[in-house]
Amino acid sequence: MLEGQLFMSDKKIIFENVKKTYGDLIVLDDFNFLVDPNESVAIIGPSGSGKTTILRLLMTLEKMQEGLVYIDDEPINMMKVNDKLVPVSNSYIRRIRSKIGMVFQNFNLFPHMTALQNCIESPVHTKGLSKTQAIDESKKILDSVGLSDKYDNYPSQLSGGQQQRVAIARALAMRPEILLFDEPTSSLDPEMIGEVLNVIRDLIKSKKYTVLLATHQMGFAKEVSDRVCFFNDGNIIEEGKPEKIFNNPKNERLKKFLSKILEAS
Amino acid sequence: MNNRLSTVGIIICLLIALYIASLTELKIYLPNFIEGAIVTVKVAVLSLILFFIMSFVAGIARGHFNGIIKWIATFYIEIFRGTSVLVILFWFFFVLPEFGILLSPLTAGVLGIGLNFGAYGAEIVRGAIASVAKGQSEASIALNISPYKHLTRIVVPQVFVITIPGLTNTAMELIKATSLVAGITIGELTFHAMKLNGIFFKPLEIFAIALFFYYFFAQFIRLISSYLEEHFSKHMNKEA
Amino acid sequence: MDWDWELTLEVVIPRLLEATWVTVYVTVISFLLSLVGGLIFMILKTSKNRLISIIATEFIEIIRSTPLLIQIFFIFFGLPRFGITLPPVTSGIIAFSLYNSTLCAEVYRAGLLAIPKGQWEACTALNLSFVRSFFRIIFPQSLVPIVPALGNFLVGIFKETPILSFVAVAEIMHVAKLIGYEYYEFTEAITTVGIFFIILSLISAKLINVIENYVRRTVIHE
Repeated sequence: MLEGQLFMSDKKIIFENVKKTYGDLIVLDDFNFLVDPNESVAIIGPSGSGKTTILRLLMTLEKMQEGLVYIDDEPINMMKVNDKLVPVSNSYIRRIRSKIGMVFQNFNLFPHMTALQNCIESPVHTKGLSKTQAIDESKKILDSVGLSDKYDNYPSQLSGGQQQRVAIARALAMRPEILLFDEPTSSLDPEMIGEVLNVIRDLIKSKKYTVLLATHQMGFAKEVSDRVCFFNDGNIIEEGKPEKIFNNPKNERLKKFLSKILEAS
Repeated sequence: MNNRLSTVGIIICLLIALYIASLTELKIYLPNFIEGAIVTVKVAVLSLILFFIMSFVAGIARGHFNGIIKWIATFYIEIFRGTSVLVILFWFFFVLPEFGILLSPLTAGVLGIGLNFGAYGAEIVRGAIASVAKGQSEASIALNISPYKHLTRIVVPQVFVITIPGLTNTAMELIKATSLVAGITIGELTFHAMKLNGIFFKPLEIFAIALFFYYFFAQFIRLISSYLEEHFSKHMNKEA
Repeated sequence: MDWDWELTLEVVIPRLLEATWVTVYVTVISFLLSLVGGLIFMILKTSKNRLISIIATEFIEIIRSTPLLIQIFFIFFGLPRFGITLPPVTSGIIAFSLYNSTLCAEVYRAGLLAIPKGQWEACTALNLSFVRSFFRIIFPQSLVPIVPALGNFLVGIFKETPILSFVAVAEIMHVAKLIGYEYYEFTEAITTVGIFFIILSLISAKLINVIENYVRRTVIHE
């Protein structure tokens, strides 16, 4: 039983009645969402519909106004102290946060550090790995994403696709249990999208991580995900297995969305 | 909006404080201060006018034109930005007479301050001109709009709005600089404060009151500026 | 125009060179003190404690919106009321440091603001502590905008030093005026001072550009 666990479910991630607003704008309203361990979920939908917000709430980059989010049945926005729910302490939230890795749309690599240095930063300073250990591991990870000759290159010397692969390696070096991808290929030139998707595909196939993928790459979402959620107006409108969602959409808005995407391509 | 309310609130508090002060022993100093304040306002307003004119003339000359016009503007800007405002004031007041040009202290002061800060303002205007998207000038060419009309009807209105914050800050520096014309014998606020201190030897009270007056002017300028900005940028899409 | 070269070479330039030491001394000390003061002001202003933050903000506003000259007078004439008598140079340095600390705080703030928010978010995503995030990730990147801004800041202080002539500090403007009173010729002295500042401005602008490129290359390897 983990320190902050409130109950025992078999879910990895739980969103419970979550409400998130930006000023007057309601982005998530009474939002509920469950994710199984090692499940890979693709979140599709129009921009600004809230897909990114889900990931950002999970990564503790944003605070929600109402509701609770649980990872391994421990809430991440409140914690249990003497049978009461109180605001989280720094050590509590950092313990939980170490389970989550995130890959951003515009990479957010540290420009003053090499690819290798970007990767070892977190393991050395948050997981207590020795520098040699971290370097060994990170090199292996960089190899696995196809960047074995780029250890000592700076972000400004790398292409967009290479930078994003470093970003993925950096997230993996944390040894996370959950991986969040926030439109990972939306900032890339078309010819570089493939190399990044290949890496993500391998990660999902390894079944070592719980993956949430917000994306516009419909073909990819259909191919790799266990479940697809169509998100619109602050909530999940329809969800299910990829074949069902893409080949047999039920909801009108989903049908319109998919047909518009097909038109464009 | 909140900032405007608090600014108006501050101004009202200051006016009340001023009134209360006039009922206490501080009233000995007040007539001098009021007289000095009026001169400060006079110098400030005249300098500000010159400042605005020079900012836009030199800014547009350097930012929009080429050739000799740009060169003259650049020369002016680099000279007057490169040196200290006090040096310029002393130069107008002490040196020009030796060339036969006798300016009254007021003229020397206004010219010195106006030209100096005009150079800084010109750089702000120049930056704003550069930031008005180049695509708009290309659109004007495509629409067969004359370069002159493009400048006056498309570029300048946008530049005007963009430069309000930068020019306001520069204007506030200008008002503070009016204190320096005390050094060329203009009887503005600081001059009177120095005089009063020489007579009464109460620097803490006297200079505190002086600070108070300048603070008041500054808030007033802020208020006008926020009003201008709100009024003129109603239809501007702020690009992130 | 009858420029008196003899006066220039035998009186003006030697005496101005001597006075330059005072100008440089005041500038450098004030600069260093302002670097520290700016940090203090910035920390106070962004303090989580609302009372401290509000007092700091108002205090800074008062200093920034009132003339430096009055502040110098306040300190120069006012401190003796408390029994502290300091030489004009020291009062000048104190007033300069106080005033310029508020400007420096603004330089720091703008520099930090220039870092894209995504960098902070990457630090959160990697679960780095605040201390580590700030000192290892954010601060090095902030040097790119902050260092050239500090260069301009230093030049700005230099150009403010003539104000000290009002309290008879023997910096170059004051010495130039004295030459004028002594020889009844202001042109040579004051013009030389003006030219000196202009040359300094142009050289420092170029220098700051070089430094800016150097920092950019060293820190983020562009």
